[in-house]
Amino acid sequence: MEGILFTTQKALYLLLTGDSELWSIVMLSFSVSLKAIIMTTPPALLVAYSLVNGHFPGIRIILAVFNSLLSVPTVVIGLFLYVMLTRQGPFGDLRLLFTQNAMVIGQILLCFPILVALGYATINAADKRVRETAMTLGAPWWFTILTVLYEVRFGLLAAVLTGFGRIISEVGISMMVGGNIFGYTRNITTAIALETSKGEFAQGIALGIVLLVLALVLTTFLSYVQGKQETST
Amino acid sequence: MIEPLIVFRGIKKNYANATILRNVDIALYHGKCILLSGNNGSGKTTLLKIIAGLETPSCAEIEFSGKSLSWKKAIQGVRKEIIYLHQHPYLLSGTVESNVSYGLRFTHLNRKQLRDSVKEALNWAGLADVAKHKAKTLSGGVQQRVAFTRAWILKPKVLLLDEPMANMDLESREKACDLLKRMKSEGMSIVITSHDTNIIDGLIDSHFSLSDGKLD
Repeated sequence: MEGILFTTQKALYLLLTGDSELWSIVMLSFSVSLKAIIMTTPPALLVAYSLVNGHFPGIRIILAVFNSLLSVPTVVIGLFLYVMLTRQGPFGDLRLLFTQNAMVIGQILLCFPILVALGYATINAADKRVRETAMTLGAPWWFTILTVLYEVRFGLLAAVLTGFGRIISEVGISMMVGGNIFGYTRNITTAIALETSKGEFAQGIALGIVLLVLALVLTTFLSYVQGKQETST
Repeated sequence: MIEPLIVFRGIKKNYANATILRNVDIALYHGKCILLSGNNGSGKTTLLKIIAGLETPSCAEIEFSGKSLSWKKAIQGVRKEIIYLHQHPYLLSGTVESNVSYGLRFTHLNRKQLRDSVKEALNWAGLADVAKHKAKTLSGGVQQRVAFTRAWILKPKVLLLDEPMANMDLESREKACDLLKRMKSEGMSIVITSHDTNIIDGLIDSHFSLSDGKLD
């Protein structure tokens, strides 16, 4: 018990004194995950919109594929990407393995189906009159899409926050294609795994606290956003 | 003889195994108002949406500007002349002003012209005092007038109204009816679907009934 208290005290000390090593890991995590979510959101929402409003064959099959991809373990995505990016792999010449870009690509692969599935549910629940109103008032197709997305913005923001929460807390992809290189590809989750395996719990707990605080902030913000959504309808 | 503004011929619409519309012909004239009546599910809304280009017919032809073309070929050109209003209009997030100005963003008006047009439209509809109000917080009657104004500002040649007076109190109906009469007097062709023919008295020039997919 004393050991846990001492370690937690040390973890809080590291956090509050602005330990540069710890905060560089936190910043790297946010940098990689923010890049991934920013790059994923527009195409994923466009795909979701097309699935709701498109008239092409195989929509149900595509939806089923995206829904199944939600439950793919991150290590499987990591493994798939590793095989693709390794020297002998089809994209080996790009020299992306064990880089932040590889982590971003992996997180995009993880996040894309989540945003498509949640985006589809949100856009599908949107009032059908929005699209028809925009069209009849002369909006071009792209502005019609923007109008519909804007009208369900709170639901979409909740989807984006859920996706962000998922990718910043994943460990499988980052470990496999990032390689956990200190100062370069070590992020919060891989650092926790490493420090724990070394028996150095203080930094692991400190990073865990960061993730917990982030989860708390995201959840609170999600509740706020969902409240806004309810009052706007 | 007055030339029709636009004619829709042979409108057919099938949903799965059901036939909603069978060879419906309808001609729209400048400054004239048509009342479409019919039971629930008779296809009134479907017909209006096909005319507005919001739904695809199984088969139809359009005669416009002296040319007769298939619905698919002609609808892009015709669509900008026609505005469809839902039974319960959808007002977008934002103020009354931003709703009224929505369609003007796709015209070539500059900011000042846009502001002036919106101001003129709000005064025309007696909505100037609610210009800055959030549109979704207004009563049903006022929302309907905002929707009329949002359409009127674009000066369409044809206005399609799906049960515009449904669930309105008497005062709101009178105000809405007054706006419609003014639109008609400006030369707009209006098509209204309604069960109640009395409330829009003095507005209607011809009355058709839709039953069994046919217009009588």
